[in-house]
Amino acid sequence: MAGILALLALPLAWARPPLTITVLMPAPFAEATAETVAAFNRDHRRLRIAVARGPFETEAVSDLAISSLLLGDSPYDLLMMDVTWTAKYAAAGWLLPLDDWLDGDPLAGVVPGAREGNRLDGQLWRLPMLASMGLLYWRTDLMAAPPRTPAELVDRSRELQEQGLVRWGYVWQGRQYEGLSCVFLEVLRGFGGRWGGPAASGIGLESPQAAAAASWLRQLVETGVTPTSVADFAEPESLQAFASGEAAFMRNWPYAWKELQKPGSAVAGKVAITTMVAEPGQSPAATQGSWGLSVLRGSAHPAEAVAVLQALTGEDSQRRLARDWGYTPTLASLFDDPELRAALPLLPALRQALEVAALRPITPVYAQLSDILQRQLSDAITGGLPPEAAMGRAGRSSRAVLDASGVEEV
Amino acid sequence: MGERRRSLLVGVALIGPALLVLLLVFLWLMASYLWLSFHAQNLFTDLQPVPVGMLNWRRLVLDARFWQDAAQTLRFALVSVSMELGLGLAMALLLNQRWRGRGLVRSLTLLPWALPTTVMALGWRWIFNDPSGPINGVIGGLTGSTVPFLASPSLAWLAVVLADVWKTTPFVALLLLAGLQMIPADLYEALALEGGNARQALLRITLPLLRPYLLLVLLFRLAQALGVFDLIVVLTGGGPASSTESVAGYAYLNAMRFLDFGYSATVMIGMFAVLLLLGGVLLLVLRRPARFQP
Repeated sequence: MAGILALLALPLAWARPPLTITVLMPAPFAEATAETVAAFNRDHRRLRIAVARGPFETEAVSDLAISSLLLGDSPYDLLMMDVTWTAKYAAAGWLLPLDDWLDGDPLAGVVPGAREGNRLDGQLWRLPMLASMGLLYWRTDLMAAPPRTPAELVDRSRELQEQGLVRWGYVWQGRQYEGLSCVFLEVLRGFGGRWGGPAASGIGLESPQAAAAASWLRQLVETGVTPTSVADFAEPESLQAFASGEAAFMRNWPYAWKELQKPGSAVAGKVAITTMVAEPGQSPAATQGSWGLSVLRGSAHPAEAVAVLQALTGEDSQRRLARDWGYTPTLASLFDDPELRAALPLLPALRQALEVAALRPITPVYAQLSDILQRQLSDAITGGLPPEAAMGRAGRSSRAVLDASGVEEV
Repeated sequence: MGERRRSLLVGVALIGPALLVLLLVFLWLMASYLWLSFHAQNLFTDLQPVPVGMLNWRRLVLDARFWQDAAQTLRFALVSVSMELGLGLAMALLLNQRWRGRGLVRSLTLLPWALPTTVMALGWRWIFNDPSGPINGVIGGLTGSTVPFLASPSLAWLAVVLADVWKTTPFVALLLLAGLQMIPADLYEALALEGGNARQALLRITLPLLRPYLLLVLLFRLAQALGVFDLIVVLTGGGPASSTESVAGYAYLNAMRFLDFGYSATVMIGMFAVLLLLGGVLLLVLRRPARFQP
């Protein structure tokens, strides 16, 4: 009798709609993960992933997520997170600590450069999904080897400019926005400096190295190695200048590689990547800009959300993202994968850049610190304030923000 | 007496609903922001409001960035709104005349106003592009060098003004055109009979009778311009060197990026106080009854 009842109840159980886990992602990633999501939904009868396509622009995604979180009842279970958001979101109490839900060390398989920025105050808040880092693009048709020091980059640029081979030497991101902080961090490291440290020391900005780094950027503009309009350049503008063959060097993220090989590009097949220049004796640095996934604390189904998190950050997902879309994986095993090495000739160079990955300060007040730095750097680059004075101001303002927040060190 | 009371009741009943909505939406919002400005609500209070007295206000008074942004916002609003009023009035006078093709031109002038701000701001980003935008195409052709409009702290704000004038002048023209059409034609006929000229018609009839419309447009546009946000976000992102940052942009940064809601509310109420002051002065200066001088 009980058996018959159970049999009768079976179709009813199947008829129950599957549990849906919603993930908010920037639009490009929603597209790139579509295949992984479809495969997951095919394999799981009771669980399905719904991807909410966010805006294209990184910060606009954050605005959308924050608005929903502030209203209390966020419709999302998982959030695709930029590395710089993690500390803020964790401090706001919006994220679920992942250690209780995952066995072993979830970051064990991740390459060192992408491992940082996920764990804070002893808790894991995010699993990395793809890596990104600042690269120096150089023209193989104009030189045999890339410059290694800031001085070499300038000399090479001016030579090529004087010979009339290029209009500009070096293009980068100089607009007053997050990209400028990323550019500066690499140059600062190259000059032996550091962005971070005790608040009392102005988190490294009131240093001779910071002044040297800011001066170098200003001089690039002053000497015409970089166009004046760089103060309004984000990634697309630098890419446009470099792809048109007008510049010898460009600082950009790995995504630019594919764009440069497209038919409209004047430099297809004439470009190579390397790490940013550094003073003799200093290690080059690549600003880490990885994307990862976090589970929102408000999710009604944390166990299922963690399962989705694992699927989307797992090896199959990362392999697809790399093979089909050119995104850099974060799992060490994939860098040695023969199939991927064949599909992505850039992989060894990307791994090399990840080994010198530089992290922006990991703190809940990162957005304030970066805003201060951008503002002062923009002033220095456009000639409004001597670079050293601008960095002094940036250091003092950073200290004020940290003092007011009771943070002693970042 | 009964009649008067009745009409008063009808009047209250008629404006009551609108007044209620206004109270709920506007006053309640302003009151809650004012309340918030005396509280800290940020990452270090677990996003809960904690009373801090005048702390936010003391910080605002000493915040050089707020005053810089307030000055920049005022400069933007005054320059762009004066240009819009001048151009809009000229456009309205022209469109009020009878000429062939007027209907078509009237529709076409509205196009910029109909475009979403972000779309037209992207367009202007391209127009101001250095070196490949059309403006620099002309400048480069004439002088051999280009002008980095959006990369120069002294020029970028003018670029923002220009884009704003382009977009909102049609709105001004439309409202003023409506005002022009309310002026009875026999006034002009009477003036013509008395031997008056066009200049007198403009100064003695058109402008005085248009005054309430001018005031209305002025207040509308000033309020909008002082809250400028999306245009700047797309066109310059507030840079270079924060030279185009507006108060609304600063309030947004504090709320959405820094999660500092107490201070963000203070910035907004602070700017609202400035706006209120400005509006009051304008009303006092401009709101004299229209006089008709035959």
